[in-house]
Amino acid sequence: MAEGKTIVVKIKRQASPTEPARWEEFSVRWRPNMNVIACLIDIAENPVTRYGKPTTPVSYEANCLEEVCGACAVVINGRSRQACSALVDHLDQPIRIEPMSSFPIVRDLVVDRSKMFEDAKRLRCWVPIDGTYDIGPGPRIAPERQQVAYALSRCIFCGNCLEVCPKVNEHSDFVGAALINQVRLFNMHPTGAMHAHERLQAVRGIGGIQECDNAQNCVKACPKGIPLTESNNDVNRQALLDAIFGWMFR
Amino acid sequence: MPAKAAATAEVTPEATTVPAAVPSRSYIWDKLHSLSGIVPIGAFLAEHFWSNSYALVSIDRYNQASYDLQTIPWRVPVEALLIWLPILYHGFYGVYIWSKGESNLSRYGYGANWMYALQRWTGLIAFVFIGWHVYVERFMTQGRSTYFDVATTMANPLYLSFYVIGILAVSFHFGNGLWQFANKWGLVVGRDAQRKAAWITGAIGVLFAVVGLLIIFGFVFQWRPFQFYAQ
Ligand code: SF4
Ligand code: FES
Repeated sequence: MAEGKTIVVKIKRQASPTEPARWEEFSVRWRPNMNVIACLIDIAENPVTRYGKPTTPVSYEANCLEEVCGACAVVINGRSRQACSALVDHLDQPIRIEPMSSFPIVRDLVVDRSKMFEDAKRLRCWVPIDGTYDIGPGPRIAPERQQVAYALSRCIFCGNCLEVCPKVNEHSDFVGAALINQVRLFNMHPTGAMHAHERLQAVRGIGGIQECDNAQNCVKACPKGIPLTESNNDVNRQALLDAIFGWMFR
Repeated sequence: MPAKAAATAEVTPEATTVPAAVPSRSYIWDKLHSLSGIVPIGAFLAEHFWSNSYALVSIDRYNQASYDLQTIPWRVPVEALLIWLPILYHGFYGVYIWSKGESNLSRYGYGANWMYALQRWTGLIAFVFIGWHVYVERFMTQGRSTYFDVATTMANPLYLSFYVIGILAVSFHFGNGLWQFANKWGLVVGRDAQRKAAWITGAIGVLFAVVGLLIIFGFVFQWRPFQFYAQ
């Protein structure tokens, strides 16, 4: 292979939330099967721009390097995706890397995604099992149902689905596809279903499911292939039935 | 509700630290927005295309159909409640929804994203067109519009092209709006069901566009394919 082949990486950097953003270009030595994280590691080792100017190492997040932790979501060549599964050989050069714009910036490529976690709490996205005594095993779940739930449960809270959504921006509080999918997942669970009404009530609240206008970018962007539009419509049906008929049966 | 919340707090201590759901009125207004597009606005659209199709029979039949509609009992309250108010609501609330969204087609040019963007634009065009159309054919004519009035408007090439654009925008917005409705009201869930709904609602949109354009054709070229009915 071409020895000494290099790749050009352009990174949008910002030292702190209050400082202005700027672009910096780096040149990185090419190696086989390189991913974008490998480029960032190289830059961290030798933080010098393409033009020889020393700079600070680029801050970024990554853990698993196999698309299961969700930490490394960034916008690469204009598309929001996981950096660890973005292979350099499949990307146009120069490779442009930006932080996601739907979340408050922390530094360089690091953003603060706690909005998703706060929304998950507000939407009661868990199965309540803690108590003062052992409540014993829950009901069994039919295999077909397990299969559906398994697909939904693979969400890694990366935030790509929020980043690509035209309804997630500073004018709207939309919680985003991932959170609506969580509502469906936990309402499907026999124990979780005990709180179905509370979740549905919350999902009709501020920034709730009504904000979705079906641009359906989420389902294309999800690295885990979660059927997000399906979840969305399913929760739409549940929330509507709960709103229309719920009060009669309570 | 309070009783239930208290019970939860007992078993799950962390429930007390969970932020409460923030109630929002926008849920009901959003649902009414999508519903109002189907009934009464979509239903009226179908009726409107139906009665205007009399232009394809004869001028007399067209004028008769207009006269019948113009002389219904309770005309103004019926118009106000079933047509004007819903359209004003749907239009202005639609603009509000527009203002909360952005378009990112340049980055994510997927099919459904295009439909989302087109739904916004056609909605705006349709709203402006309908406003003008109602002003010219309903208010300028003192509610006594005839074949002649419409034909005169269409004789102007500028207005004619506005009619063509308006009808195409309305038909698209209605067809795609039906699909949106099927999603937003959870009438279809699975991907296949969504796709089938897209075919059906798309066909309805195309049907409206074709019928609308044929009506224009009837006005402009005095084309009366159903004239033999009247003879
Ligand atoms: S639903 Fe998909 S895109 Fe959204 S946060 Fe979860 S894994 Fe990421
Ligand atoms: S590093 Fe875990 S998803 Fe990329």
